[in-house]
Amino acid sequence: MSRGDSSPPRDKPLTSPISQQLAGLLGADAVLPTDSYSIDDVVPPAVVQPRDRKGVAQVMRWASQTGAKVSPYGGGILAGLGNLPDRIDVVLDLSRLNRVTDYQPADLTATVEAGIALEDMRRELAHGEKLAPLEAPFPGRATIGGILATNCSGPLRFAYGLPRDWLIGVTVVGAGGQETKSGGRVVKNVTGYDLNKLYTGSLGTLGVILEASFKLTPRAEARAGLAASFPTLKEALSAGRSLVSQVFVPQGVQVVNRASAERLNLDLPSGADGLILALAEGRPRATARRVEESASVLSDAGAANIDRLQEPDTVSLAQRVTDLGWDEQTRPFLGLKIDLPPSVLDQFLDALQPVAGTGVIADVGFGTVQIFHWVNPFAQGGQEIDGAVAEIARVRALARSLGGTVVVEHCAKPVKAAIDVWEGCAGESELQIMRRIKEKFDPAGLLNPGRFIGRI
Amino acid sequence: MQPSEFIHRLQDIVGPDYVIHHPEDLLVYEYDGSVDRSMPRAVALPSDADQVSRVLALAYDEGVPLVGRGSGTGLSGGALAPPGGIQIAFTRMNRILEVDTENLTATIEPGVINLDLDTHVRKFGMRYAPDPSSQKACSLGGNIAENAGGPHCLAYGTTTNHVLGMEVALEDGTLVQLGGAARQVPGYDLRGVFVGSEGTFGIATKIKVRLLPLPETVRTFLGIFPDIESACSAVSAVIGHGIVPAALEMIDALSIRAVQNVTDAGYPDDAGAVLLIELEGLWEEVDEVSREVESALWETGANEVRVAEEDSERERLWLGRKTAFGAFGTIAPNYYLVDGVVPRTRLTQVLRKVSEVSEKYGIIIANVFHAGDGNLHPCMLFDEREPGVKERAMAGASELMEYCVEMGGSLSGEHGIGLEKKQFMPLVYTEQDMEAMRLVRDAFAPSGRLNPGKIFPDGEEYVPVTQRTPTQVDPDFYV
Repeated sequence: MSRGDSSPPRDKPLTSPISQQLAGLLGADAVLPTDSYSIDDVVPPAVVQPRDRKGVAQVMRWASQTGAKVSPYGGGILAGLGNLPDRIDVVLDLSRLNRVTDYQPADLTATVEAGIALEDMRRELAHGEKLAPLEAPFPGRATIGGILATNCSGPLRFAYGLPRDWLIGVTVVGAGGQETKSGGRVVKNVTGYDLNKLYTGSLGTLGVILEASFKLTPRAEARAGLAASFPTLKEALSAGRSLVSQVFVPQGVQVVNRASAERLNLDLPSGADGLILALAEGRPRATARRVEESASVLSDAGAANIDRLQEPDTVSLAQRVTDLGWDEQTRPFLGLKIDLPPSVLDQFLDALQPVAGTGVIADVGFGTVQIFHWVNPFAQGGQEIDGAVAEIARVRALARSLGGTVVVEHCAKPVKAAIDVWEGCAGESELQIMRRIKEKFDPAGLLNPGRFIGRI
Repeated sequence: MQPSEFIHRLQDIVGPDYVIHHPEDLLVYEYDGSVDRSMPRAVALPSDADQVSRVLALAYDEGVPLVGRGSGTGLSGGALAPPGGIQIAFTRMNRILEVDTENLTATIEPGVINLDLDTHVRKFGMRYAPDPSSQKACSLGGNIAENAGGPHCLAYGTTTNHVLGMEVALEDGTLVQLGGAARQVPGYDLRGVFVGSEGTFGIATKIKVRLLPLPETVRTFLGIFPDIESACSAVSAVIGHGIVPAALEMIDALSIRAVQNVTDAGYPDDAGAVLLIELEGLWEEVDEVSREVESALWETGANEVRVAEEDSERERLWLGRKTAFGAFGTIAPNYYLVDGVVPRTRLTQVLRKVSEVSEKYGIIIANVFHAGDGNLHPCMLFDEREPGVKERAMAGASELMEYCVEMGGSLSGEHGIGLEKKQFMPLVYTEQDMEAMRLVRDAFAPSGRLNPGKIFPDGEEYVPVTQRTPTQVDPDFYV
């Protein structure tokens, strides 16, 4: 997973014919050793890291001539998302396209290249006291292109929505190498179709994102939070639900169980199995009120213990929740992301009855639940694959009965080979439209083939 | 099929009383808010999704182009019938089907009027945020087609940020569910790209929208300025303080005079510009930000600042803003409104250009607009009976659109492209950009008979206004 802005020392000759072709196209320094890249445990035959936008277009033109299958790549944080690819010939690493190309603090807009890391973008925009409220695990590595391709989010999604809500313009290189744009650099725009929405969350299957423009928001002056423990997850959830209907609701409200709390390095008193994490921000007085009134509601709701968090702890907690308890090397054996109407969260978690050690993080205002198994709990009698597959099917049936969807964000490769990561996320007629879109944008199936919904 | 047989078939689907086909009855369907016109062959008024689906299937089989029509308030010709085509009007499909106070959503039929939804859900302590100026009349289905905006979109985003799911009838009548009840739906964001597709992808038959809780405190400020430059610098000062108000609207001197002609909105006669600012949130927030807003208004040269918190008083401050477009009738019988959008720091420059254009073409131009998000609405006022005036107005509007794009802006902030601005699309997009857009349309509606002839310039290149010969201005174009 590691790569950086500078090319690593080249101790191996570029043996693969694809690497040689790409070196001929973009120069040897644009072609990287492949061994630090892997997609679903497969090291790709070639990795190319173009220096500029022209290079990206050249790669796609070359791919359209040779039929090479291309996987766009940012920080690699969510590179495991999606079905097992049909085939990948080249990983197209965008991390050299890492500049802020336009920043207009007074207009509340910024344009950045796709390969910029979220943390770098935040730092540059901090000079003008603005930000795009995006969240991603490992912001030092997660790139804007990757965040858009996966439409990923964090605990503040309740207040700020998803990346789709902040993207105002995007430039992509299509499967044939042609550069196109949609939207622009103004915060309100209905000129032509809103293809920004289409590219966001499309997992790089329609084009390679080169550059993205965002509307921005002023940075909050203050941040504060609280952690309130409850005897059970159910009680925490019900208290959390009562909090999100209040006028003073904090910007993010998560409920986690003991297994997740431990993974997130949070203290949970003995005898407690549910924890509410509330994150507030804004003007100082209002932020303080959000926390205090929340504490009072949660105390009335039976909180066993309430810890107030000052700004640094709040910021670090928000990031830890966004990181979902991952670390640099470890991903869960099984990670499911479930999206539900928020009112059915309690029904869902009641019926879920997870096996011991299952981590749960629920965004009670937004309706997203993330479930993790850090080790394989189904590893008995050679049933590890069947057990996991059955568990996925069970959670899916439950979510579907409540109007929700399940994406298998992480699983071991043999499990992935036995399931469809996106099963049930769209109806057949909807899928038909999606397939027609893919066929029109990428008729030869060059971009991330097989990985997305409906094996697109 | 004979035309009369086609009408009979339509009548079989929606009922004999709900097909309009006599020319005199069709007259009102010839228009939308854009004042362009196109006579539909017939108008069907279905009562439910099944009837919509069957009308679409019939038209599809017969090769008849069609367009959905809400209230006909659109300003870009989006709802006008394509040549030889029919309209499906949603007048009868105006039921609010469900209000979900737990998930803060409402499920509605496309003919529901924007303000009716908002008024209804306010009883439950919620609101529907997008509030186009036509909200008393415009339908939610039309709002989706155009991705409608409104003053409060500054803080809350446009229609697209508030639509969770839709049931959509495709060109052959197939009903498809796009999106759903959850905020996030994996897969290509079909609901997102459908919003703003101007009726060319399909026709929404049922809509689930997101509602917002009512804020604890709402406070409205009215700043009266000696001239528009100082009002513009107030806009920059407010945003520069890190404040994004719920709404930030500007009214220029000419519009103030027009408003005062029809009602007493309480504006002084010598006011050069009026700025309306609305703050919402927790009272601590509103209180703190209020002081900054007030001082920004005074520091940038306001002659007077009025503040209101009670609903009735706030409505009084909004009166002028809401009356302005109707009041333009006291200045001239016709108007043409340019919906350009620019980065907000360019407002002063663009307004200067508006004055230049006004002088150059001898057209009165009034400005009432969403200053907070840089969405201008220069409104060209004229009497079409005056020979040559339409041509001058259109040339002036073209020059303004060119200028908006030059300033880093775009053609439309909230009204859509439709027929009105399709010739300007090449100013913003290359042929390849537009080709990518057409691919999506062709994936939704391969026959191309849903609202054909809109949005795209049919391969014609844009001719800058300074290079046009007089014959290139169509005298019937858009007035």
